[in-house]
Amino acid sequence: MKKAITAIIALVIVGLMAFGYWRAAQHGHDPNAEVNPKEIIYEHLGDAYGWEIPFSHDVRIPLPVIVKGDNGWHCFMSSRITGGETYEGYKISESEDHHGKVVQVLADGSESRPLDLSVTKNVAAILVAALVVILLVMKVRNWYKRNGMKAPRRGTALLEVIVDYVYTDTIRPIMGKEAPKYAPYLLTVFFFILTMNLLGLMVIFPGGANLTGNLAVTMVLAVITFLVINLTGTREYWKEILWPDVPLGLKCPVPMMPFIEILGMFTKPVALMIRLFANMMGGHMVVLVLMLLIFIFTSMFGAIVGGATAVFSLAFTLFMLALDTLVSFIQAYVFTILSTIFITMAHVQPHHHE
Amino acid sequence: MELFTPEFGLVFWMFIAFGILYFVLAKWAWPPIIKGLENRADLIDKGVAFAEESKRQLDGARAEADKLLAEARQQQAEILREAAKMRNQIVENAKGEAAVEAKKVSDAAIVSIEQARKESEKQLRHEMGEIALQIAEKVLRKNVSTDQAQRELVEQYMKEVKTNN
Repeated sequence: MKKAITAIIALVIVGLMAFGYWRAAQHGHDPNAEVNPKEIIYEHLGDAYGWEIPFSHDVRIPLPVIVKGDNGWHCFMSSRITGGETYEGYKISESEDHHGKVVQVLADGSESRPLDLSVTKNVAAILVAALVVILLVMKVRNWYKRNGMKAPRRGTALLEVIVDYVYTDTIRPIMGKEAPKYAPYLLTVFFFILTMNLLGLMVIFPGGANLTGNLAVTMVLAVITFLVINLTGTREYWKEILWPDVPLGLKCPVPMMPFIEILGMFTKPVALMIRLFANMMGGHMVVLVLMLLIFIFTSMFGAIVGGATAVFSLAFTLFMLALDTLVSFIQAYVFTILSTIFITMAHVQPHHHE
Repeated sequence: MELFTPEFGLVFWMFIAFGILYFVLAKWAWPPIIKGLENRADLIDKGVAFAEESKRQLDGARAEADKLLAEARQQQAEILREAAKMRNQIVENAKGEAAVEAKKVSDAAIVSIEQARKESEKQLRHEMGEIALQIAEKVLRKNVSTDQAQRELVEQYMKEVKTNN
């Protein structure tokens, strides 16, 4: 009985998510008009000023817009410009170059992009995700503070299992003695990515922002990992990059191996960045495309074919959402374990030669 | 395309958000959690080590006990064997001694019998001589006319001898 209820709740949640995507895909387009999938997809994968409430494209939660143009800093709520208005000389651009971004309208009518530190939908979602992570981790922490050795119960147990798996079974075996020193960073990365992934899959308010499917977000994480790797690297690590153990001809006079090694320094975080980005964005895109198929077929072949497609699309969307949930965990884990391995590799000690 | 060209604003906020998140969690949350996990791992490791040690000790004790038991059995068998040997020896000794005693006794008996026989022989001889002397005396003293009378006389003397004895 309990199982059945859980299954029904899960189905309803996933159904709601799918419905949200469907509404999102449908919105703002006359069912008979030409559907422009590319525009819709990028609009929904991208950032926005203000946070739209699900199922009603026109109602947006206003968020602060913070810009610095040539006339100093400006700060106002996004609701002042999302309707297409110009406020204090700023508006959301319709032009090809700055489509959907806040621009300053100059005296000659041209648009210039100001320094934009606005709290956009993605920024707000990042802050929400950070808050969620803090709350969840604090819960685990309080449990440890209070109960120590006893096994946790219910929700905390679920979190604790994940923490335990990431720390005891992944970070500790790889890093050994150094684990407690770097685990805070790695665990933070893991839970932050996981939360952003899962929130991104949700359509209902605090979610829906495609965070880890945005290159800026994964880039920041990769850059931090890059910094940790290279700032904590040992002398041996740098020696192996700049003067590796290869025949002399490979490193002098033409520093071929050092060149490759230095390239390797950068490919590692870049791979981290692109892997997470592409996996998450791909998942979102497939779901959106599946939903858009309904409208594309409706506009091309009429309502009956569209209706039939809806059944097919919905089934696949549900499957994709379930798969993306799995991918959310896997990608968070992969990012963490690879960061762990890269950091450990940078802490190499001199090995002894015969 | 916005997705592929990171927005500066988003990068900026992401850095801030991650910085705050890391600061908060690394300062207040992760250390106690990691300590808890380490403690638990230690506890489990120690538990396993303790169990292994206990098992080892138990095995040792069992082996020791088995050894002692085997030794005891061996000793028991030895003692029994020894006891049996000793019993046999005692019996043998006793038998030997008894035989010697018996022989001594019988030898003594034989000697004394022989002695007694010699004694009685000597005495008999002596008495026979005396009797013969007495008879001869009597015969000489009395004039014996007839054979009949002689015979009677001898018989009378013989009777006398017999009664004398």
